[in-house]
Amino acid sequence: MKTSRYIVLALMVIGALLLVACGGGATQEPAATEPAAEPTAVPAEPTPEPVVEEPTAEPVVEEPTAEPEMQTITIWHGWDGAYFTAIEEVFKAYEEMHGVHIELVRQDNLSDAMAVAVPAGEGPDILAWVQDQVGRNALVGNIVPITEWVDEAYLNENFEPAAANAMVWQGDVWGVPEAQEGIALVYNKAVVTEDMIPTDPTDMAGLLAAAQAFREANPDKYFLCNQGIGATSQDAYHVAPVYFSFGGDSEVGYVDDQGNVYLNTPERLEAANWLVEFSAVAPAETSHEICNAGLMDGTYGIWWTGPWAIAGLTEGGVDFGIAAFGRPFVGVKLLMMGANAVDRGNEAAVVDIMKYFGSAEVQAKLALVNGTVPANTAALNSPEVQAVYSSAAFGAALTNGIAMPNTPFIDAQWGPVGAATAAIVSGAQTPDQALADAQAAAEETVAGMK
Amino acid sequence: MGVSYRGFRKYLLILLFITPTILSVSALSVYPIAYNVYASFTNRNTFRPRANCEGEAVQGEAPPAWQTWLTQRMEPTCWATFAENRVVGRGQFYRLTESLGENYADMTGSLFSRESLTSTGLLLVGVSPLLAVWYVRRRQSKLLSPPRNGWLWLVALAVSYGLWQVLDVQAALTRLQETGDFFIVLFRTILYVAACIPLFFVVGLTLALILNNEHIKGRGFWRAILIIPWAVQSYIAALVWQFFFRGEQGTINQFLEALGLFEQGPTWLGDPERPYLAFVAVVVINLWMTYPFFTVVILGALQSISQDQYEAAEVDGATWWDKLTQITLPLLRPAVLPAVVLSSITTFQMFNTVWLVTQGGPIKGAGQPGFTEFVMLHAYRLFQDQNFGRMGAFAVIIFVMLFLATLFSLRLTRITKGAYE
Repeated sequence: MKTSRYIVLALMVIGALLLVACGGGATQEPAATEPAAEPTAVPAEPTPEPVVEEPTAEPVVEEPTAEPEMQTITIWHGWDGAYFTAIEEVFKAYEEMHGVHIELVRQDNLSDAMAVAVPAGEGPDILAWVQDQVGRNALVGNIVPITEWVDEAYLNENFEPAAANAMVWQGDVWGVPEAQEGIALVYNKAVVTEDMIPTDPTDMAGLLAAAQAFREANPDKYFLCNQGIGATSQDAYHVAPVYFSFGGDSEVGYVDDQGNVYLNTPERLEAANWLVEFSAVAPAETSHEICNAGLMDGTYGIWWTGPWAIAGLTEGGVDFGIAAFGRPFVGVKLLMMGANAVDRGNEAAVVDIMKYFGSAEVQAKLALVNGTVPANTAALNSPEVQAVYSSAAFGAALTNGIAMPNTPFIDAQWGPVGAATAAIVSGAQTPDQALADAQAAAEETVAGMK
Repeated sequence: MGVSYRGFRKYLLILLFITPTILSVSALSVYPIAYNVYASFTNRNTFRPRANCEGEAVQGEAPPAWQTWLTQRMEPTCWATFAENRVVGRGQFYRLTESLGENYADMTGSLFSRESLTSTGLLLVGVSPLLAVWYVRRRQSKLLSPPRNGWLWLVALAVSYGLWQVLDVQAALTRLQETGDFFIVLFRTILYVAACIPLFFVVGLTLALILNNEHIKGRGFWRAILIIPWAVQSYIAALVWQFFFRGEQGTINQFLEALGLFEQGPTWLGDPERPYLAFVAVVVINLWMTYPFFTVVILGALQSISQDQYEAAEVDGATWWDKLTQITLPLLRPAVLPAVVLSSITTFQMFNTVWLVTQGGPIKGAGQPGFTEFVMLHAYRLFQDQNFGRMGAFAVIIFVMLFLATLFSLRLTRITKGAYE
């Protein structure tokens, strides 16, 4: 009795240990088999077409092995809605032309997903993101440069200047641009007419005067709503065209690639003083929702916003116009090559897909569907894109813009600029004090990074 | 069967049985915490993301062998399983900081300098009479017939006030605030918890008492209605309340203006001159979101109190107040205390609601914590520069504090006593 119990017990323990051991083994196995899988993928890489021919030559025997031979390129992205549908079609056309399978995977949190997947060898071949992610991901090794296949000359030849610059970091090219984004004055034609907006897009004094005159004439309305200018907003992005439109060092934005901070300059102080005067005739609290609702119901004449707001306004039946003003931050969406694409030998196919996606034809098609601003110069200037009002109007606004930095030092700017602006607008600090504090705070963050 | 396992064999058997559990606990909770502690002693950030698995020399200087040994054990990317796919970016190697406590010192400022510790001591002396009274009354409450000595509180309050003046505790508090953001943020967070928890209890108790009253018709309906705030997604609730607290067009201000209290109501969430308004707003919002929890807990406990006790008290001539303080409250204690401990911790760690409503504002300026920048919001802000080392240090400090607070409250309330004895 006693011994049989021990035997059962011992068996259970051994079973448990085996389970644990097998669990460990199982995690190791895919790592071991992966290199083995690599060689089969490699021959498929340089010329995908011959691979497709193979099954047609020996259709009966080779059928089961034919499918794994088809090269698969995985793209991780954050696209959704109608925009995604249009992109899906574009890639489907490519699949048919080249016999490559493209798998589109939407990731809600790209940062976390990359951090886990790339070291495990399960990252994407292509990563669709925004250019402020370039430096950070290059440092970690999530992405690899594509300078070998795409050089700066190619970028400058085919893409808008801000978009081309956004691809280059530390002397290497890291991606191919997809689209540009930035903000402009979107006005409700029932409240504000075009002649109220200064014709010179850098005439900040004129804009202030217009806001003051409008407020005087309409005490229950506001001329302009900017979600970055409010006592409760901390939004360095939307307030950027104000800071950048007074000239000077603004060429480089708030920080540069060396980690120099440009917040406490005479031009920025001028901008801060402008903010103080402007906030007297602007809504005290602002946000995306507040500005949107105000523009819709006619309480606010203008909303300083980007292309993402247009669909909602069109749906709401607002008769709006778009006017370029100030020097906005230009965000550039791009495709980057994931580090795992190299392990899989997919580089050539990845670059080909990137170039296809950056081509004038594809970019024009996407712009027509979504009203985005193409990064490809030929696409932007094509008659059919120019005929799309929001693409043309935002495109004009972005020509004055400043490319958002792709250096990781960019993280040092958002908090200090946002806080300083809130303090200036709410009156918690004087402009010079606020900017001095912001300069110090941003420099401290940069120092911590170095 | 009559088989008895004794001594070594018994323990071996027990050990064998619990080994899988111990292994999974280590993998799921101990390792992440250990990893975080390890990270808190490194200078890891965006520019230095790489683990130096092989102990390569950096600027001609190789790290000590024990550091490499530690890195190889702690860093998953150094493990053989993951070595295959190790990615190498443009970043540098991270290493342990020059002086080990560097990140911790960065986080706490001069909070642990001699001067600050003296100030903390003064603060404690200032409140010691209140603590003493609390302790004495606690001991006495175990007596068969505790003396009625509520007046002791008044005495203690007076003595505290005296000490406060004599020792100039106010100045000590100011000195502590100058030690850095950490104390300010922590102090405000504790204040926030201290403001929220009693309100949760009072509102929850009041509603539970009303809903427990047999004379109310449709109690089921009202109970369902009252639980709604609990069911609403916190971010939706936060955005709705943010709208209510808006300066212009805000519901609360429109109401106040309709009453004729203001011509133009205050900018609740963005007034740096009156930051307490934003504080009140986030307390109200948190109260609205949490009281249903207390109501439900108290309602359940109320129903388990036997009516006989109230009847007996009534025979003895007890008033409504006597019944509440002598029967209801003491009997609610075991049910309410865990709720208090739990919601204290969640309130202490409150992030999304406050972030969505105020973003930590009203803002005083760059580089200073906003008036409602509580511990977790502060942590989020610190993390914007992706400094994993300092972030880890912050997390460890908060973890230790919450751990001690939880242990203390567990001892105090003996919540787990029944379960383990």
